[in-house]
Amino acid sequence: MIWMSWRQFRTPALAGAAALAVFGGYLVILGVRIRHGYGDSLELCHRQGGGCAAAMTDFQNRFASQLYFLDAVLLMLPALIGLFWGAPLVTRELEAGTHRLVWNQSITRGRWLTVKLLVVGAAGMVLAGVASLLLTWAASPFDQVADNRFSTLLFGTRNIVPIAYAAFAFVLGTVSGILVRRTVPAMALTFLVFVVIQVLVPNVVRPHLRTPVTAAQPMTAEVVRNLGFLGQHATVAGLRIPGAWVVSGSQLRAADGEPVDQHSYDNCINAGFDGVADCIAKLDLHVDIAYQPVDRYWSFQWLESALFLGLAALLAAVGRWRINGRRT
Amino acid sequence: MPPDDLLPILRADGLTKRYGKRTALTDCDLDIPRGRVVGLVGPNGAGKSTLLQLCCGLIAPSAGTLAVLGAPPAASAAHLARVGFVAQDTPVYSALSVADHLRMGERLNPGWDAGLANRRIAAVGLNPGQRAGRLSGGQRAQLALTIAAAKRPDLLIFDEPAAALDPLARSGFLRNLTEFVAELGASAVLSSHLLGDIERVCDYLIVLCGSRVQLAGDVRDLLATHHRVVAPGPELDRLSAEAEVVWADGTGAVVRAAARQLPAQWTVRPVELEELVLSYLTRAARP
Repeated sequence: MIWMSWRQFRTPALAGAAALAVFGGYLVILGVRIRHGYGDSLELCHRQGGGCAAAMTDFQNRFASQLYFLDAVLLMLPALIGLFWGAPLVTRELEAGTHRLVWNQSITRGRWLTVKLLVVGAAGMVLAGVASLLLTWAASPFDQVADNRFSTLLFGTRNIVPIAYAAFAFVLGTVSGILVRRTVPAMALTFLVFVVIQVLVPNVVRPHLRTPVTAAQPMTAEVVRNLGFLGQHATVAGLRIPGAWVVSGSQLRAADGEPVDQHSYDNCINAGFDGVADCIAKLDLHVDIAYQPVDRYWSFQWLESALFLGLAALLAAVGRWRINGRRT
Repeated sequence: MPPDDLLPILRADGLTKRYGKRTALTDCDLDIPRGRVVGLVGPNGAGKSTLLQLCCGLIAPSAGTLAVLGAPPAASAAHLARVGFVAQDTPVYSALSVADHLRMGERLNPGWDAGLANRRIAAVGLNPGQRAGRLSGGQRAQLALTIAAAKRPDLLIFDEPAAALDPLARSGFLRNLTEFVAELGASAVLSSHLLGDIERVCDYLIVLCGSRVQLAGDVRDLLATHHRVVAPGPELDRLSAEAEVVWADGTGAVVRAAARQLPAQWTVRPVELEELVLSYLTRAARP
């Protein structure tokens, strides 16, 4: 059955390999260029002195749009695998009637499905894995400067999670096909479910994969200057801890833990653009935050991979059960 | 449990298959002994395909039980190996070559007889390198037949195998089918709405109409117990209770009865298979 799965999958596999070769070649070239660009920027700022912030911003601007595009490709890749390799895996047989040929060979339907899932699924995981690892390598100097590896876009397009996404999307496509029985509706269903999952997991599930660390972040003038937002009612947004992922934050609080006195806060807000930070710093405020420290990055990668692989296994079991009890 | 050889090829009790509200097969009872070539006849939509797909486990019954060679259909890989199935319009993988199909058969069937397969492919003149999508209907049917037969099953099931073929291809296909059955020592079930095909190759008959089994039995027994009689309508009432008028048209009738049960003064002649089947189909189709 391994031979048969491979024989049927040969053409899509070659197409996938060709696409990967082009994509990979582009990533290698880009990776080399990014390294040169990074080296140049470092050299520039060391020569000029006075901190590297401007040079690094230049460096980031140079490659940001290309990397955004590549991140988007890698976000889409698992969905494409699910749509074009997963969904037609069984429906193509049903539509051509060949299931009536192959299901009467001396192999049970469950085994037939399992081998097909493993062979084509493994190819999908290799494809996503190679693409992800090449992008991770190519973008690593950029990511290091951005120092934002927990962001939704970066977390989902680097290292090992794309492999698990690919496995999940592929099984999702196949099982949709088994349930819907027609290729195009199965593709639509696959895409819909995959997008919903990819929105839900980073926003609802991922923050709770491990219990966040809580801390009181003092509102020094430096921190206030880097905030994204200061609200009328002493709320803040855009609070960043380098590398770490701030999951939630409280209002601005005074040293005794009570919310800041609204009157003194308003005075600071009205102190004018330049004065705000120093004014707030004098109030000795802090924000109670919950965050995932930077050293948890790999445990999050593994946990999320396990989550998606578990979902894939669960779906595969549903598919096996359904295909055995198929009522045509 | 009786020895395996004595288990019936098909045994159905109250077998029923519904698709939503439509009933494709109703309360079907069958008990077909080994070594037969069974013909399944009936008009289109009678439930022939449904019965055969139930037999090879492609679909599951809605009610009743079915045992094929003593076990539920497609129960295990070992059981699948014992039943060969050629589906209606003989599906093959259009992108794969003839040789690929044989390789598939070899990989997926432990009992694969490569010699038999290659011999047959050569005998019917199929080019192993040709893609199956380019084969004619007759060639495709021959390929499907070869794949089903080369796994050396104990039972071969054919669903309207020759329906789409021209007369010459059909004749060749049926000849091959008969040869296979003889060579494998297998039993076979084949459905057709062409009575001539059935008459040519089958020794057991099932007449299916309106989702019900109308008649089932050994062809010789059926012919021996049915008679074409010429007798005016009222005369038919004189038949004893054991005899049954299957069909009558005012001047004559097909009756099921032992010869001695018929009045001596009637003109009685042997019934032909086609006549017999048509009389049951006509009766079933009557509102």
